[in-house]
Amino acid sequence: MSTLRFSIYRYDPESNAAPRMQSYELDAGFKGQMVLDALLALKEQDDSLGFRRSCREGVCGSDGVNVNGTNVLACITPLAGLKQPIVIRPLPRLPVVRDLIVDMAEFMRHYRAVKPYLINLEPEPENERLQSPEERAELDGLYECILCGCCTTACPSFWWNPDKFLGPAALLQAYRFVADSRDQATAERLDFLEDPYRLFRCHGIMNCVEVCPKGLNPTAAAGKIKALLVKRAL
Amino acid sequence: MPHVAGAHRGLDIWLIQRASALVLAIGLPAFLLYAASQPVLDYAAWRSLFVPLPAKVGGLLCILAVLVHAWIGLREIFIDYVHHLGLRVLLYFAFGVLYLGCLIWAVDILWGVQ
Repeated sequence: MSTLRFSIYRYDPESNAAPRMQSYELDAGFKGQMVLDALLALKEQDDSLGFRRSCREGVCGSDGVNVNGTNVLACITPLAGLKQPIVIRPLPRLPVVRDLIVDMAEFMRHYRAVKPYLINLEPEPENERLQSPEERAELDGLYECILCGCCTTACPSFWWNPDKFLGPAALLQAYRFVADSRDQATAERLDFLEDPYRLFRCHGIMNCVEVCPKGLNPTAAAGKIKALLVKRAL
Repeated sequence: MPHVAGAHRGLDIWLIQRASALVLAIGLPAFLLYAASQPVLDYAAWRSLFVPLPAKVGGLLCILAVLVHAWIGLREIFIDYVHHLGLRVLLYFAFGVLYLGCLIWAVDILWGVQ
């Protein structure tokens, strides 16, 4: 019976060794399962292998990894159809904490910077702030983001300026609140975004769209922010 | 958390890049049609394409659009890859002067055709 072959990025900051690729093998019986199932089985073989996971069904966004060159959520990526050896690396460009675990601090800093919450200074209504079905529909394709980081770490503009470019995930969230009919801080949000780095590093490369495990479109969101800036300026 | 406003730059340049692309998207096919409409396209015919004033103006607009588009493209590349500010400003300047020189040269060529 044939086996499934893996090549996995290993790095232990406590040893002085440089990062390396380690080979693993699994029974071919795993073929019908997901990459995360394979990682869990490999951890049984070698408990020093580090990776994040939680919900194991594509909801929590903690197991973003790079498999054969593409950022994916390990838990919803089938092993079947992957070219062997299956090369698993941490998400690109973020600092590696250990093995497949990356430091998301920079990613989260950009997320916080766009103030990802409703800003409305009017007195709170008795029940809720109402929206028409059309206004609510504006948020479809925006609110579903699980912040896994697959898009931002697939973006070349983020690779070159990770400290200044917000990245697709944060831009999608920025537009999510700009587009919200209940939000009153649109002008301030646009002021923040109108910057050669924060927004305008987005050149519509669309790697983000290609890898988003939730099928969202950050490039379109960035385009809509640009359209609003044009509308405001002209 | 302090909410520091952006540099309020980037929109103008982004718009100009799109505008220059639009000029080229219209201008280049128009020029190809214009050239293809000639019965023969030897050197004399090619030269005579640029004799009418509208051809000179259209040609110069396209060259200007190419140069502006190219300068903005280079600016994006420099922002991504040249992180040393002094060097980057020097590159903006050098290519700005070079492209301006190309523009003046193009004026001389186009208006030299009589």
